[in-house]
Amino acid sequence: MQSKMKESDPILEVENLSASTDNLPILKGVSLTVYPGEIHAIMGRNGCGKSTLSKIIAGHPSYNITNGDIKFLGENINSLEPEERAQLGIFLGFQYPIEIPGVSNLEFLRVSTNARRKFLNKEELDTFDFEELVKEKLEIVKMDHAFLSRSVNQGFSGGEKKRNEILQMALLEPKIAILDETDSGLDIDALRIVASGIKKISNAQTGIILITHYQRLLDEIKPNYVHVMSDGQIIKTGESDLALELEKKGYEWTDNFIKET
Amino acid sequence: MEIIEKIKTNKSIDNLTEIQKICLDKLQASPLPNPKSEQWRLSNKSKFSNFLNYSVNEKKSKFDTPFPNTSQSTIRLVIGDNCQINFIEENYSIKQLSEDKLVKYIKEQISCFDKNENWSDLLNLSLNCTKNILGLKINGSEIPPIEIFSHASINSLNAKTLVIFLEKNCNIDLLQVNLGKDNSSLSQSTFVCLEENSSVNHGVVSYGENKSNLLNSLNVIQQNNSEYNLGSLHFKFNYARFEIRIKQSKGNAKTNIKGMQITKKDEQISTFTKIDFHGPNGFLDQINKSLADDKSHAIFEGSIIVPKIAQKTDASQLSRNLLLSNLAQIDTKPQLEIIADDVKCKHGATISQLNEEELFYMRTRGITLTEASKLQLSSYFQEIISFIPVSKDRWDLLDKLLNEN
Repeated sequence: MQSKMKESDPILEVENLSASTDNLPILKGVSLTVYPGEIHAIMGRNGCGKSTLSKIIAGHPSYNITNGDIKFLGENINSLEPEERAQLGIFLGFQYPIEIPGVSNLEFLRVSTNARRKFLNKEELDTFDFEELVKEKLEIVKMDHAFLSRSVNQGFSGGEKKRNEILQMALLEPKIAILDETDSGLDIDALRIVASGIKKISNAQTGIILITHYQRLLDEIKPNYVHVMSDGQIIKTGESDLALELEKKGYEWTDNFIKET
Repeated sequence: MEIIEKIKTNKSIDNLTEIQKICLDKLQASPLPNPKSEQWRLSNKSKFSNFLNYSVNEKKSKFDTPFPNTSQSTIRLVIGDNCQINFIEENYSIKQLSEDKLVKYIKEQISCFDKNENWSDLLNLSLNCTKNILGLKINGSEIPPIEIFSHASINSLNAKTLVIFLEKNCNIDLLQVNLGKDNSSLSQSTFVCLEENSSVNHGVVSYGENKSNLLNSLNVIQQNNSEYNLGSLHFKFNYARFEIRIKQSKGNAKTNIKGMQITKKDEQISTFTKIDFHGPNGFLDQINKSLADDKSHAIFEGSIIVPKIAQKTDASQLSRNLLLSNLAQIDTKPQLEIIADDVKCKHGATISQLNEEELFYMRTRGITLTEASKLQLSSYFQEIISFIPVSKDRWDLLDKLLNEN
């Protein structure tokens, strides 16, 4: 399906990836390639392996890769630590962003940004310079400066947490962003702010993977490809109209598909 | 009996003082704490005997304070320095207690001592001749912060005693720093008496070096409408015990305690607290945190005593513990003894490990595992450190902790 002849090399290649946790297979041979400028959507029922795939790409230590490879800019990253992957330019936007009481959001964002800047051979920012940068990025997600002085995600509403994720994405300037159900828990206005933030940050050099259940995010951000996952596999890939088809048909047909294959 | 002989035959003590004699008599009857008693049952026996192994040293040794005194207004004192203290300013005075008054007060205290509960104080006062006892009487207002240092010398057992009387309507910030040296034992006993309407923000920071030991006993008496705020931190000791006894003698007083102990390698650090409400409307808010790594052992035992006279007491005691290694050990036992029927008292304990999902979240932002752990620990430490009255620009305790742990 990804037949468009690409002018550049892929950012991310997931090749026949199988993974397990506690000896329980979760992914059963997933393949996915993302080129610069592409937006991919992964849809599927709860428990089909979408979030697991995102965590494994980000390097979650609780999962074991039992087969296959993950390549970033042509290099195998199977054995890299999560922080090494992040420094390379892989960003995971969490479905449930973690609260870290006692750690100020500003300091957390500064340490994260500097870790990425260091990798990119850019000068690390002190508190004052960082405040300037973050002020600019806050505009993208329409967040108040007061959020910076609070503990990371602590006491944030669902929408504020998701906007904080997009703020981090804006600061880290990743090569590829995997956004796991960024639209869940958002009202229409918040969804538009988040979607507009994602569009502003993404460009022809970056790739985006949107994990979602609903068409409404894809109305705001039109994907190039839609993949349907079921039982740890990508069972169908299509263009953006596949999402509309799913919205009409639901996921029941995926059960039959698995039975038949 | 060995310790008693050691004190009696100590060449640096010419004549035993009256207090030493009284305490030695009491120690004769109970030369060592009862290892089966609640207060001592978890104490590591070989480490405790190591504490007593060093020879008693009353000689003055070279002492470097851990941070510079950049603030001209701060009053800095070292126990055992022998200088006469007499600060008399327009708004306040800090005077040294006369020997008579000091002896009278200590004798009163000794008369109430329990042989197990106050064994550390008995040892301290048996070891201590007058030059290592500092007694202060403080009154007035706008009193500058006070810093008091106690330190042990290498290869020796040192005892230091501090007595502070805070007169009516007086507020102070007091930082007490206890420093252990290589292969040393420090016995520190502190007695604080708060008169009506007085308040203390008391910081107790104790840290050692290789193989240093500490017995740190703190006795506080609070009168009506007094407020006692204690922020404490103990780390880097082979063996350390911090005993806190607070008595709200007539009720209507407030006590806030935020304490923390950090153990690594095979260290053992314990905190024992006894908060005694002797009147109505008392208030206590206490949190004790332990962090144990490697093969170390951290202990917390806290008791809140609310007799019938202490109606309307509002007390809370929480023990929070972080276990960083499979081989480390944490024992915690917050306890309530309530006789009064109209009170609000609660207690609780939690033991957990570093949160792996928090760590993963930080790592997905490019923060290394070590840095992510440090960030998590700094948030754990921060609540306690911010309660210790010492300005950040002079001594960044958080940096010290994170770099050493």
